[in-house]
Amino acid sequence: MNENLFASFIAPTILGLPAAVLIILFPPLLIPTSKYLINNRLITTQQWLIKLTSKQMMTMHNTKGRTWSLMLVSLIIFIATTNLLGLLPHSFTPTTQLSMNLAMAIPLWAGAVIMGFRSKIKNALAHFLPQGTPTPLIPMLVIIETISLLIQPMALAVRLTANITAGHLLMHLIGSATLAMSTINLPSTLITFTILILLTILEIAVALIQAYVFTLLVSLYLHDNT
Amino acid sequence: MLSRVVLSAAATAAPSLKNAAFLGPGVLQATRTFHTGQPHLVPVPPLPEYGGKVRYGLIPEEFFQFLYPKTGPYVLGTGLILYALSKEIYVISAETFTALSVLGVMVYGIKKYGPFVADFADKLNEQKLAQLEEAKQASIQHIQNAIDTEKSQQALVQKRHYLFDVQRNNIAMALEVTYRERLYRVYKEVKNRLDYHISVQNMMRRKEQEHMINWVEKHVVQSISTQQEKETIAKCIADLKLLAKKAQAQPVM
Repeated sequence: MNENLFASFIAPTILGLPAAVLIILFPPLLIPTSKYLINNRLITTQQWLIKLTSKQMMTMHNTKGRTWSLMLVSLIIFIATTNLLGLLPHSFTPTTQLSMNLAMAIPLWAGAVIMGFRSKIKNALAHFLPQGTPTPLIPMLVIIETISLLIQPMALAVRLTANITAGHLLMHLIGSATLAMSTINLPSTLITFTILILLTILEIAVALIQAYVFTLLVSLYLHDNT
Repeated sequence: MLSRVVLSAAATAAPSLKNAAFLGPGVLQATRTFHTGQPHLVPVPPLPEYGGKVRYGLIPEEFFQFLYPKTGPYVLGTGLILYALSKEIYVISAETFTALSVLGVMVYGIKKYGPFVADFADKLNEQKLAQLEEAKQASIQHIQNAIDTEKSQQALVQKRHYLFDVQRNNIAMALEVTYRERLYRVYKEVKNRLDYHISVQNMMRRKEQEHMINWVEKHVVQSISTQQEKETIAKCIADLKLLAKKAQAQPVM
């Protein structure tokens, strides 16, 4: 049971070659591009969605922040599609691997912070001290703010990993509970199955929300530092 | 793509070549061959408007048509599933229930919101087409308005002679009025001068008359000598006395 529970989180390999690369590269195949004005329904809805999200996300940035718009929009689409595809049975979700999330979070955060320190050094340093703190508390508060800043990329990565992994684990566990109950007591199987369905709906929501949260936070760090 | 690798290797090996980076695309195009085949002489055939029909979003319709003469596709599907289950090729595990719930939620979502999303996408496309159509219609309308304006202008030009006639009449009337005014003024001036001459003449005559009368009276008065005056006065007094006697007799009647 233990091996079986975490088996879905092992990075899959085919004959020793990492298939995880193929799995990570798969979602863009689901988002076609088109050079025509009038497309089929899939492309039309996808284009409308992307337009909506990009407009919603990038209005709060100035010109310098908007140069990141391609990065942020592709980030949210990648995380959303990868999370949603991971809900299918017997599939592998790359975002459950902490390595991938760290690889996404650290460069983005570091880029935003270094950009802030290069251009507006006073503003960037001012983030270390909130307004209106009493004078004796200042040294401690600066240390706390520094730690809070340095922990941001770890928080981003671990948040995404933990949420998605926890969701998958829960689904697995409740699924196996339903399986075990099906031989014992049928009505409780139905109850457990209902719980599973509700959990699935939650997972879909979580998948989308996590993508949104990740991208929103990166964009927030960007806004602070442009 | 390999030529790009060569270029980057050359750039790292000889940094002076980095300044020649702007030659990069040109070098690339010299190595890659374009337009090797015959050019398309006719327009490329247009894409079909709708894709191939698909059942359940996954299996194309041709598969069903292919199977129908031989065996029912649903029977084949059911048979395969039951075979996999019974021979434990597909093991029922925790994953099965997860799969069931996920697929159930997906099917429910598609059944419930599918037509809505499809209509929405169609509406988006229709809006785009309507915008272009609107632009076209606006352009046509604009040109039509221009044509109508031109036609009405031409019709107006045909009727311009009315305007000219009216203007001509106006001017003729104004000229006539001015002429008559001046004529009247001339008449008045002439009459003024003639009146002056007449009144001068009248005055001269009157003056002459008066002068003559005065002269006659003066001479008459001068001619009456004192002797004659006394005789005349005595005769008048005698006449008056006679008359007074006659007059006294009258009131009795």
